[in-house]
This record gives sequence, structure tokens and C-alpha cells, in this order.
Amino acid sequence: MPLLSEKDTKYLKKTFEEHLKDPVKVLVFVDDPNECEYCDLTKQVLEELSAIDGKIHLSTHHVKREPELVRNYKVEMTPAILLLDANGQDTKIRFYGIPSGHEFSTLIQDIIAVSNNKPVFFNEQQIDLIKSINTPARIRVFVTPTCPYCPKAVLMAHSAALINRNITAEMIEANEFPELSMRYGVSSVPHTVINDVHEFIGAYPEHMFVQELLKAVRKV
Amino acid sequence: MLFEFKSFEETKDHYDVLIAGGGPAALGAAVYARRSGLSVLIVEKVLEGGQLNLTTYIDNYLGFTNIEGAELAKRMKEHAESLGTQFLNASVERIVVDGETRAMILDDGRMIEAKVLMIATGTDPKKLNVPGESQLIGKGVSYCATCDGYFFKDKDVAVVGGGDTAINDALYLSKIARSVTVIHRRDKLRAVKILQDKAFQRPNIKFLLESVVEQFVGEKKLERVIVRNVKTNQTSELHVEGVFIAIGSVPRSDLVKGIVELDENGYIITNEWMETNVPRLYAIGDVRKKNVRQIVTAVADGAIAAVHAAENYF
Repeated sequence: MPLLSEKDTKYLKKTFEEHLKDPVKVLVFVDDPNECEYCDLTKQVLEELSAIDGKIHLSTHHVKREPELVRNYKVEMTPAILLLDANGQDTKIRFYGIPSGHEFSTLIQDIIAVSNNKPVFFNEQQIDLIKSINTPARIRVFVTPTCPYCPKAVLMAHSAALINRNITAEMIEANEFPELSMRYGVSSVPHTVINDVHEFIGAYPEHMFVQELLKAVRKV
Repeated sequence: MLFEFKSFEETKDHYDVLIAGGGPAALGAAVYARRSGLSVLIVEKVLEGGQLNLTTYIDNYLGFTNIEGAELAKRMKEHAESLGTQFLNASVERIVVDGETRAMILDDGRMIEAKVLMIATGTDPKKLNVPGESQLIGKGVSYCATCDGYFFKDKDVAVVGGGDTAINDALYLSKIARSVTVIHRRDKLRAVKILQDKAFQRPNIKFLLESVVEQFVGEKKLERVIVRNVKTNQTSELHVEGVFIAIGSVPRSDLVKGIVELDENGYIITNEWMETNVPRLYAIGDVRKKNVRQIVTAVADGAIAAVHAAENYF
């Protein structure tokens, strides 16, 4: 049975037709079903999504069969979704865990953002500040699918990654990775951790997010 | 509600009706305004449907015996969208009322003008303002059961409050957590009877009535709650890992402070057409001074404001 309803598929088809510009490469990394509860489901929803529009190019990779690829892209957990632009450049946008519930809209908006090479958030001044970051930064945003505040926090982190390739931005579905969530003391979402040294809870407005990001980068 | 997504459209610099906030009031206004042929932009900072998204199940909106809050939010949004309402995911930083000009300034600095503004920003959860509360937010203290409930699977939690939201939260959490203790200051709950009856039947919901929270204690995370009985003044300790606070709400009316009349609690004062003391500036939904804050009254506020605006200003 398809995961996306006929109505949703129709809506997405129209949305993609109107908004997709360049092709987007979607890489999904999976593991054996007994190692990864949501891998099959994640793979299926992405297959349905890529079937809707020819500009969405999906490739599925098994972490045990393609260890080199896993190393190259620094994939740490499964399921993992990576977005690459039309030139095959890694945007450093990552989803760990299934992007379900409210996070499905994040994935759709990210695909459109990458296709247009246009971040969802930030004005010119904020973009310049984000571009000025010249050391690697890793933003992890812990979420749950039922959290309505979470997509904004994830999209902001992903937008930053799209602007500056020194930035890797990960959505982490907290329920699927309980040990990691516990290690970072996650009990309210969205919970953002930058470079392991800086954290904040809640979906911040754009200017505050940029300030937090700069603060974190300077801490290192 | 396994998979959800939102719309994409370029926004213009001028609309007939510009609404800050995207809950049921805004969506109701949008439906009526669009059917009158007015252009409408809804500026929502989080997610269309507003607080509906925080409510697991809704049993009191006519036409829906029992529906998930997020599902009702999605349907309301689709309804407004199908009529040509535009949506923008942004925060409104400032409201401009200058002579004939009505406008909103967004967090990216952009200004959008409109003939008519509507404030539908709703409310924020009220804090207890007791020691330990702000330090332990995100470490066991939460204001969103739907967001954070699963972090307390098979653990002991508490809910503070006795109204509909608190008891709804307790019912939701009772399916996830090992036990839920409801801490409420009065000797009876304020929630509607049907919710109370359900809660009393759940074996893992306990009640600590006539009690208030004095302090939240914990180093890295919440360890215990110090509770005082208001009758005996005796304090006791409750060992829980999570506390969900649902003691009411405060209006998000900062945007119009100094621009329109507010009541002593910060709610916006309107006339029966939802118009504030500033012409072409309306307030609808929970942010307005009113007696009943429900989905049905929010939608009605929106409809009334839109009809009035369409008849008087266009």
C-alpha cells in the first residue's frame, strides 16, 4: 500500500512542477531491517516521492555493502537521507531517522531549496554572516514527528548548510536514536546542539539563530 | 498524520487582509475574506493551525466527533488554501499604524502593507514562576506534551493544572508514561466533566489536589518536585522525571502594546465586530478579551471580522 495518499501525491506533483528547477540527488542509506526499524519505510516514502517528479533522483545504499560511500559521506546512523545538488555536490543536509509527521514538510521544502539553490530562511545580511564561518560546524537538531515547532528549527539549520558548505546540518528523530538523545540530555524538542559545545532549546527567530551559530563557532 | 507538507508561493508587498498568526481564527477569517474576493496573506511563525497542533484529540468541534488536532489543522488550512489564501512562514516583528497606513514588518526586515490587519497571535503557555523552573526547561520541565511525551516512556511524570489542557495532557501521557500525577491547586478539577470522568478511570493517573508546586529540583535533569498542600501547608516531595505545565495562558499581544487598548491581563479589547480602537486593525481568537476560548469561538471571531472588513472597507 502506498504511504502517500492519492490526494497528497497530486498536490506534490503540482508543487514540484511549479517549484523544482535543477535536479536534486537524494541519497538514502539503509541497514538490515532487524538493525533499523524505519529503514524500509523511509526507503518506500522516498521511492514514492522520486516517482512523482523526474527531477528527484533517488539512489539507495546499504551501509554494509558500500562502506566506502558511508565513509566518504560520514554517514553515522540509519536511515540517513542526504541531499546533493545538480552537480553532485553534497549540500551537507542530513536527515537521520524517518522524516515523518511534521518533518515530511521539511524534506519537501529542502528538496525545493536545493533545486533552486535558495535557502528557505535568512536575509542578505544574515547570509553574509553565515558565509563568514570558515571552520567546520556541525548542527544537530533533535526532533519528534509530533512537534510542530521542530520543522522551523531543522529548516533553519539546513538553510545554513545550503549557504555554507563548512556547515553540516542534521535532523535527528529523537525517538529512533534514544541513546544519542540521552547522551545529549534531550527531553524537549527542538533541541539544537552545535559542535558539541553549544546548545539551545526551541525554534529561534532567524537573527537569534545566526547569533547562536556564531557564538558556537567562536567557542571552538 | 503520517506525512504533512506546506505550500509555496511568492508573496507580494500588498494585500487586502494581512493576518499575523495562523490558527483557527486566522483560517476562519481567510475563508470568509477570500469568498468576498479579498486577497489574504497569513503570516505564521510555526505551523498553520496553531495550538490545534498541540492537541492530540479534539472532541468538541462540531461536525467532528473525534479528530486529531493536527488533522483538523491540516483540513482547515487546506480549506483556506483551496480558496486562494496565501501563507508565509515568518514572524511578525512590528505592526505599523501610521495615518492611513497599515503594515507588518517581518523578521527578515520586509514590510508588507494591507488595507486591513488582523492580530490572531493566540497565547503562550503561562509559567509557574517557581525556583528551578526555567533552569530545568528541556531537562524535564516541558510545556508541550505532544512534543515531548515520548521522552518519558515508562517513566513517572506529573502534570500541573486542572483545566481541559492539563487533563488532556494527563490522558495522553498516561498511555506513554508509567504514572501521571496531576497537581492542582483546588479541591476539584476545572476540566469539563467528560474529561474528568475519563481521567478518573485511568488507573495510572493519580491526583494531588489542593497542592501547588514550590520548587523543581535537579542538577542535570529534573529529579523531584517539591509540592505544598495549600490547606495544611505541609510540603512533600514527588519523584518524577518529567513535569508538564498547563496552568493557563498569556496573550501574545506585545506586537500591539501601545497601539491598541489591552485589558489588565494583556488581552486585546475589541468591539462586537472584532475591531480594536484602531480602525482596520482587528483582533481575533484567543488573543482577544473574551469569555470562551475554544476552536469554535476562534473560527467565529475570524468570520465576523472578515465580514465586517469586507462590508466596510472594500
